[in-house]
Amino acid sequence: MSVTPQSVILAGIDGSNFSDAVIDYAIWLSKIHQSPLKLLHTIEHSHHSEQVHHEGNLTPNMKEHLLDELSDEERQESKQLIADGKRLITNAKQRAEQAGVENVIAKQRHGTLPEALSDLESEISMVVLGAKGEDHQGSKAGLGTQLEQAIRAISKPVFIATTSFSEPQKLLFAYNGSPTSQKALNLLKKNAFFDSQLEIHIVSVQKSLADATNLVEDARTELQAAGLNIVAKAMTGDPVKELTQYQQEKAIDITMMGAFSHGKLHGFIFGSFTTQMLLESTTQFLLIR
Amino acid sequence: MLLSAKQDWLGNVRDDILAGIVVALALVPEAIAFSIIAGVDPKVGLYASFAIAVIIAIVGGRAGMISAATAATALLMVTLVKDHGLQYLLVATILAGVLQIVAGYLNLHKFMSFISKSVMTGFLNALAILIFMAQLPELTDVTWHVYALTAAGLGIIYLFPYVPKIGQLLPSPLVNIVVLTVIVYLFGIDVRTIGDMGELPDTLPIFLWPDVPFNFETLGIIFPYSVSIAIVGLLESLMTANVIDELTDTESDKKRECKGQGIANIGSGLIGGMAGCAMIGQSIINVKSGGRGRLSTMTAGVLLLILVVFLSDILSIVPMAALVAVMIMVSVGTFNWNSIKELQTNPTSASAVMVATVIVVVWTHNLAFGVFTGILIGSLFMAQRLSQFMYIESDYNDETDTRTYQVVGQVFFNSSDRFIGFFDFKEAVDKVIIDVHRAHFWDITGVAALDKVVIKLRREGADVSIVGLNEASETLLDKFAVHDKPEEIEKIMGGH
Repeated sequence: MSVTPQSVILAGIDGSNFSDAVIDYAIWLSKIHQSPLKLLHTIEHSHHSEQVHHEGNLTPNMKEHLLDELSDEERQESKQLIADGKRLITNAKQRAEQAGVENVIAKQRHGTLPEALSDLESEISMVVLGAKGEDHQGSKAGLGTQLEQAIRAISKPVFIATTSFSEPQKLLFAYNGSPTSQKALNLLKKNAFFDSQLEIHIVSVQKSLADATNLVEDARTELQAAGLNIVAKAMTGDPVKELTQYQQEKAIDITMMGAFSHGKLHGFIFGSFTTQMLLESTTQFLLIR
Repeated sequence: MLLSAKQDWLGNVRDDILAGIVVALALVPEAIAFSIIAGVDPKVGLYASFAIAVIIAIVGGRAGMISAATAATALLMVTLVKDHGLQYLLVATILAGVLQIVAGYLNLHKFMSFISKSVMTGFLNALAILIFMAQLPELTDVTWHVYALTAAGLGIIYLFPYVPKIGQLLPSPLVNIVVLTVIVYLFGIDVRTIGDMGELPDTLPIFLWPDVPFNFETLGIIFPYSVSIAIVGLLESLMTANVIDELTDTESDKKRECKGQGIANIGSGLIGGMAGCAMIGQSIINVKSGGRGRLSTMTAGVLLLILVVFLSDILSIVPMAALVAVMIMVSVGTFNWNSIKELQTNPTSASAVMVATVIVVVWTHNLAFGVFTGILIGSLFMAQRLSQFMYIESDYNDETDTRTYQVVGQVFFNSSDRFIGFFDFKEAVDKVIIDVHRAHFWDITGVAALDKVVIKLRREGADVSIVGLNEASETLLDKFAVHDKPEEIEKIMGGH
């Protein structure tokens, strides 16, 4: 009989500035959950050849020669990328073990992060990623290009580290009654994410204050029954503006919300609420799919 | 999706454009040569190559693959053009495109799994031989000048890349064309030129509905040609897609490619071009030149049109010998030379399949017939081998006067005679037990053989009982999906 392996907290590691924060939050989460921590580094192939030939003639057995040449070149590239990645995850593993996480797995996979996540989805309970990857750390504005793809690739919660680690005290739960925010509520109720030390601010921004109040009060009742420390706030206005203002006023550490519930096309045309929140806020995020 | 589309188009701009230029320069002589094979004016192949390359760049399923007018499809059109003329070729091209789109929707690309490596090698070797044979008319009954020019052209094509610096900069097939043209022009050598072969394009292509009567008679004429073109076009396109997948270690969308080839052929037919498909040689040249994205195919198509429309006067004085040299290069490069060495090392059955494919293609000038022959012969060899995987043990019990036969292995049409042969019908016994729980009956011929054995034994006066028939006949069902699951396969094949 094979035992189903315990699902893991998966931390996406690359060479970016965010990697330390990612590891620290992943350590914090895996201690709360008492679940294994998997550190994942993905090896992305450029599929770009430096050796190009413009002689344009077709020589005997050219396909075989070209295949040898291209695979040799990619092997060199892969070996280098694997070696670089191995250093990163070995350091990350040490950091996690020193912090007292018992079960740390360090893994490398070929392909993009979104591909890797959807391949590994069945064994993941939560993913921790940095707001920007290696390729984007220099750019001031914007998010990593793969972040949205990565979040969309799986239906598991994704924790996004945006600043270096400090023990979180307050969590803002943006609640609007939608199916994904219901899912988030249920996860909180089961105390799936955090110990009860955390102060949870349920905030709802609706068109009418009455609607918002109804929503937050219902949620408060449910969560208080689960023994959580709750603050509830109903508001009206522009959700992005109100929520970011609330984050600052109350010194919120983590924002929890449903993410990317609309299709890609909708996001492409109207702009995604999730993307705006990620751009405007300075807190960590916990996104529920 | 949006992101991968962007990557396909703009992920490799500089290299894609440079590779597209190299490919366009090589496409011009090939498109003219394939028009000559089909028996139409050079402009038909040139317009086709433009339309197919540009359309497939947008709608194809394999980024970086080059499609245009090809020898494989041109060979199929010869008699249609000779008997009925160009207009019928254009409708046949459009119909072939429609059939390819239908094939795409029907997921026929999945049948590619029946094409073994041997068949694929045979396909390429046959294609190479046919391209070479198509050059022979240009090399018979000509003056020594043509041989000298062709030899010089081949010399340039193969040796120019070794010239330091510029050898890697300029495509050698182009250098061959320029040098031979200049020589012929300067010395006033009287040899055939491209201008002698028919009309070259001097305008941009225009939309034209083929001028044929739209009735069942026309359909009857073009349909067989369209089917052949559609099949051969998809075969070469999907094979080429596999080659590019392997070379670049990336994946392609075969279904989209089938539909894309169809759309490209319809577009070609509507602007007066002939049918085409993916080109193995040019696609490899594209990858070697650094082309990976859709932009490389697009560049090749657009540049080809610009070149021929503005340079048609110069193009018409290019000697045919230069073209022949390019086509000999294509032929030599398409042929799988290792396959000759491998004739000695590969299993005879594999060599037989390869050789049979080549012979049938060279004989019929239709690659589809060769491929079908190769698949058929390959399948027969496979059935022959599988039928060896069966034996019967027998055991006699004195006390009860019982003969027990224990059948192990695969019983199907090809092994059923052997199956019957294992039984000793002359032996007089009271009881016979046939234990088949470790056997697999794959078809009704196998079951019929068992029935036959039982009836024969009963006639000889024995009581016959069969053990384990339920397990043995589970393989009879055509529910292939069931066999995808490891535990199901284990259940059925557990006896081995």
